[in-house]
Amino acid sequence: MVFEELEHTADVRMKISAQDITSLFCESGSALAKTMYGSYPIETPTHSFPIVAEGKDQEELIVNFLSELLFLFETEYLVPQKITLSVGTSVSGIVAGVIFDREKHAGGIGVKGISYSGLSLTKTDTGYELIIIFDI
Amino acid sequence: MNDQIHQITKTEWEIPQGFVPGMRVPGHFFLSANLARNLEEGALTQLANVATLPGIIRYSLGMPDIHWGYGFPIGGVAAFDAEKGIISPGGVGFDINCGVRMITTPLHVSDIPDMKGLVDDLYNAVPTGVGSKSPIRLSQNDLSLMLVEGAKNAVDMGYGMPGDIHRCEENGSMKGAVPEYVSKKARQRGIPQCGTLGSGNHFLEVQVVDEIEDETTAKTFGVSKGQICVMIHCGSRGLGHQVCTDHLQILESATKKYGIELPDRQLACAPLSSPEGEAYFGAMAASANYAWANRQIITHIVRELFVNKFGISYEEMPLIYDVAHNVAKWEEHDVDGVHKTVCVHRKGATRAFGPGRSEIPHEFRACGQPVLIPGSMGTSSYLLAGTSGAMEKTFGSTCHGSGRVMSRSSAKKSQTGEEVANALLQQGIIVRAPNSAAIAEEAPDVYKSSSEVVHTVHDAGISRIVARMRPLGVIKG
Repeated sequence: MVFEELEHTADVRMKISAQDITSLFCESGSALAKTMYGSYPIETPTHSFPIVAEGKDQEELIVNFLSELLFLFETEYLVPQKITLSVGTSVSGIVAGVIFDREKHAGGIGVKGISYSGLSLTKTDTGYELIIIFDI
Repeated sequence: MNDQIHQITKTEWEIPQGFVPGMRVPGHFFLSANLARNLEEGALTQLANVATLPGIIRYSLGMPDIHWGYGFPIGGVAAFDAEKGIISPGGVGFDINCGVRMITTPLHVSDIPDMKGLVDDLYNAVPTGVGSKSPIRLSQNDLSLMLVEGAKNAVDMGYGMPGDIHRCEENGSMKGAVPEYVSKKARQRGIPQCGTLGSGNHFLEVQVVDEIEDETTAKTFGVSKGQICVMIHCGSRGLGHQVCTDHLQILESATKKYGIELPDRQLACAPLSSPEGEAYFGAMAASANYAWANRQIITHIVRELFVNKFGISYEEMPLIYDVAHNVAKWEEHDVDGVHKTVCVHRKGATRAFGPGRSEIPHEFRACGQPVLIPGSMGTSSYLLAGTSGAMEKTFGSTCHGSGRVMSRSSAKKSQTGEEVANALLQQGIIVRAPNSAAIAEEAPDVYKSSSEVVHTVHDAGISRIVARMRPLGVIKG
């Protein structure tokens, strides 16, 4: 598994690992989706939306990207199936998915926001590692 | 307990200045000996970090349900000087005006032979959990009015009775709300979620009053033994969450602009008198008003259901009170003998104004405001009254709940949702939730004992116990 839930008393604390920064951003998006919708079936996407985020540093960039993704989930009722991104000093890409269906996607918990508390984004021998808290 | 912490009385503890660099005042918190055994080091550090913020008055305060949050600990209270002080979204939380209200009914347990049926009906009537949608359609103009008028706006739309309004803290409408500081994105999240319960620790609960500690005050509040009541716990939904996210970003830059040094990025803040600080306050107050309207609409759905199901009248279900527990507010307090207007941040803490305060509904003014403390899913909730002790010690504040002790991941590993639901059923408590994990994560064992927390605030004199309510049916989001 490229992301795992770590111990945290009140919120959801995730550790996400990836070989490169783009994969790290995509995987962190999947971790957010898993938190909100639980484990859900893979389906052919029916809707897709562009996503753009900016930040003064990589930490702000990941927080802003995930905040944008959360906004998309909540306002479009989108459950992602494929996240395609280009990550540099900013992030842009496409989030493709299906529309929320209580029968398939009610296995998770609402995320209120993406926290800076305890946030760390580090380069490791094998790629990148992100530790991040989703406030629920 | 960390050996740098001093115990002052049986229930009061102090974190001395110097515990973390730059503390301007000591930390002061309330815990029984039992609760002290479970205190997290991270929560202590957060409490000490708050003490470094400019303009903080007297103490960084922690209530007995204190636990590790972000920026401020959950259960944190801090008052800031109007001129030298700051305002911080980290001292309010993502869920602005997350709060609790309770209505009573003329029913008794024997009037509800089919509790499961009632819980199912409530679950189907109140939009609950991730992906739920508002039962009403708000236009942008409707939303703007709601952001200013709060509970009154919902009542004007037909969701309640005029008498409900003054039974809300701030009369359900905080002054200083500026809808223009609420972003388009926050509005987009808010419009489809108005009148929805949300998820996480939010709930709607059917309870029975099973013990009265103070007959006189209970009578004044309109609560009697054996009475069925309904408690609602939720907040400002995606609108408030987005306001927090938006303004955190603005205040990150402001922190640097005003040269404020912070031990934790999540304490981003700005002087109360700065344009950035004023913008956050205006947006936060608007979100708080949205939350009061949200709880008002859910209350209406519940009352309509009870009217149809039990043949009682709408007017027989008065609102006892509605309290906010994630908010920053301008309040009048005596500070070292001087009467001052200060900005009190309460993050996972409840206002508990004592007797005589003009902000309390006139009918409660002699006994102190009602304070509602929800228990966890299987444990009792409490009705308390505010005290003069709270005015002296905690800027009129007390605890807000039981406070978690076990992480969600550990909770899910220790027992399944079905096991928790079955165990609760054995105790006569029926639970409905969108998924089994939501039940496991909120199991009674993952929280501190609500009784222990409430008795600690009672013993410390920062509120006093009036009545205890036992859960019968629970809807978790």
